[in-house]
Amino acid sequence: MARSIRPDMFSMNRRRMLARTAGAGLAAGAFGRGVFARDGIDVSRWSPEYIRTIADTIEVDTAAECAKVVPLDYEGRLTYWYVGENEASSEIEKEMERAFFAAFHDTYPNITIDKLNLGYNDMATKLRTAALGRAAPTVVRLMLLWGCEFAAKGQLMEFAPEDVGHSSDDFWPNAMKSCRWKGTNYGVPTNNETMALIWNADIFAEAGLPPEEPPATWDDLVAYSNQIKQKTGKNGYGLVARVNAGNTPYRFMPMAWAQGGGALDEAEPQPGYETIYIDNAGTKKAVQDCYDMYVRDKSVPVSALTNTNNENMDPFTSGNLAMMISHPSTYAAIVDRAKKATGADKAIAERVVESMRYGLIPEGAERRAVVFGGWNAHIFKPDYVDGEHDLDAARAFVAFMTGPEWSIKLAWAQSNPGNLRGFKTRWMKERLEQIKFLDVTTSMLPSGIPFPVIPESTEIMNVIVPDMLQNALTEKMTVDEACEDAARRVEELLGGI
Amino acid sequence: MATAAPVNANRVDPRRYRELNVLQRMYRCRADYLYVLPSLGVMFLVIGYPIYYTVYLSFFNTPPSLSMDEKSFAGIENYSRILASSRFHEVTWNTTIWTFASTFFAFVLGFGAALVLNREFPGRAVTRGVLLVPFVISAVAASYVWRWIYHSDFGVLGALAVQMGFSDTPLNFLDSIDYALPSLIVVNVWKEFPFAMLLMLAGLQTVPDQLLRAATVDGASVWQRFWHVTVPHLKGVILITVLLLFVQNINHFTIPWVMTGGGPAGASDIWITQIYQIAFGRIRFGLASAYSVILFAVMIVIGYFYVKALAFGDERPNA
Repeated sequence: MARSIRPDMFSMNRRRMLARTAGAGLAAGAFGRGVFARDGIDVSRWSPEYIRTIADTIEVDTAAECAKVVPLDYEGRLTYWYVGENEASSEIEKEMERAFFAAFHDTYPNITIDKLNLGYNDMATKLRTAALGRAAPTVVRLMLLWGCEFAAKGQLMEFAPEDVGHSSDDFWPNAMKSCRWKGTNYGVPTNNETMALIWNADIFAEAGLPPEEPPATWDDLVAYSNQIKQKTGKNGYGLVARVNAGNTPYRFMPMAWAQGGGALDEAEPQPGYETIYIDNAGTKKAVQDCYDMYVRDKSVPVSALTNTNNENMDPFTSGNLAMMISHPSTYAAIVDRAKKATGADKAIAERVVESMRYGLIPEGAERRAVVFGGWNAHIFKPDYVDGEHDLDAARAFVAFMTGPEWSIKLAWAQSNPGNLRGFKTRWMKERLEQIKFLDVTTSMLPSGIPFPVIPESTEIMNVIVPDMLQNALTEKMTVDEACEDAARRVEELLGGI
Repeated sequence: MATAAPVNANRVDPRRYRELNVLQRMYRCRADYLYVLPSLGVMFLVIGYPIYYTVYLSFFNTPPSLSMDEKSFAGIENYSRILASSRFHEVTWNTTIWTFASTFFAFVLGFGAALVLNREFPGRAVTRGVLLVPFVISAVAASYVWRWIYHSDFGVLGALAVQMGFSDTPLNFLDSIDYALPSLIVVNVWKEFPFAMLLMLAGLQTVPDQLLRAATVDGASVWQRFWHVTVPHLKGVILITVLLLFVQNINHFTIPWVMTGGGPAGASDIWITQIYQIAFGRIRFGLASAYSVILFAVMIVIGYFYVKALAFGDERPNA
């Protein structure tokens, strides 16, 4: 069983006791009113207008807040693994990441971080292996689907926002749920994401579609994709169905949930994660839609089976792909690509930037849905960490990272800061002015559904769901057979086989 | 005066030595064993223990929700599940095709290249260097390059096929269940034929020139010289090269994993990618261990033939 860090964390010395008191006081002061009340957050109020009204309404002194958790002159060392900037990141994201580490060094000059930036598709595997070999890092930032597995195995420390001077009410309820296993908290949310539908208005116009109106339903999207292919010869929708890549479930599950499907009952108001939905009519309809686009209409890239969404960026930038589901950061990334393009390519890319539009992800028969995504910071137990386990250095780092300032800056081009106080800072106002289409992805928040918070989620989402899609799209199985095969595998998995 | 016990078998009458049992022989050779003891110790630690632990783990159920300390004993259930699953048969078939086709084509191409390079011609050194390039390129880098060459929408090969009028649309290599595995085999052969070429070239340089000249004087044709002089002389090298390629291929992970991840729909999934997927994608270390033990048993059989091949080389006169 997981061991609580709280008794020894706060009984060690007076500084920690003071820090806890100050942190609790700060939280109580900051969240005692409106939507930040302790009885939870009403996500339906989070409209683009509401977000604009609360931006730039509080001043934040990050160093002062962190000092209340761990003194700024603290000397220590920690190892930190994260999925950071990569070749597909925009310049803004790269700059923010550099600025984050520089700012932490300025705030805590005596804490050394041994950091490791891992690829998205490598992180979970490498961390599992490292934890088995008792060589895990002290702090890790994980996609919210992954943390549960490590918590269930007893490898993570019990750890809540209160341990780093925040309040759990500072964070989205769905985000907090993703940090919890069997009622115990094992992490602090860093940022939360909902994606949107991006389309190229020029291609829509060329195909005879209304350029400013995205497809309202998934049926419309399938029809739009086909019409685009027929009329322009270009690919309509950027389908992604690669195995072992997080991009696949992030784009397929909203289709399934929209039609009343799912992997389990995660889209229901009170999910129990015990009922299998992967072979119900809703999921079959979503797989059928994919099949229709890939096999029947041939209106999506042939390479969808080996592509991640990164491979959709270039065809979109070159005006050869009309629609895809992605983050607001995609706009910044495509602007960067357009800047780097040369000759005739540059003119095309600049035209694509101008004709880029963001809209809500289509609705299905049951609902509009999007993955409530995001990342959480976790601390490994000393037994699983390679070398010294400096808990105070880890707390200082997590307090700094998940505070209002850096939770918003590190999510600059993404959807949302994990810490809701970030929305009230001046940086949010800057962001709203600088990041185009941010309001659209924020509008998707009420439709956000988190993946099942069970250790088996990784296998279901990264292996079983993509396998099901590949079985259907390659016609190795019919749609019904593919869904039933997936259901059998999920059943075995939940049965502990 | 008492004489010291012989520590070297060579000092004993060979006939008497042969009559001793294994333990007695070992005792007589104890000094030799002492010399190799440190190596044996290291081998036990880095090879023996992992093998033991893998076999041990293969009898346990290790679901992703439990830590390794909480694993439950499952007997031979992991083995029976693997052997009964249709996926195992599919993966075994893929592994067989992958291993035999890669080995065969890499060897034939490598041997052919070695025969060419064994002759004097202008630019031989440069050609040899160029042919070695695939071998020295990192497998990961090569896989990424080939992935883009094969790309079903923007690949160079597909674009060339369209431009030359062979096809109306770019060819589908990696996203097709029919062509994914053959496409990977082509990359693998390209990557490893220089290895076969190097070994065969070394072998060819040991073929006595006077034998070939004598055969020429006797009126043997080029083919007869190759078949009746060169090949018999290279039997040992050929056997070892083929076995090494075979082992290398059956264990090859990088190219299939990076290029297709075993997909689409398992069409290019081979044993080693399947083991990796079960262990690290599905977090079933017990099941993956059972799979590994099965693969290990196959490797033991191949290892036996490899040792026999080495012994064959040693026993041959003038080898």
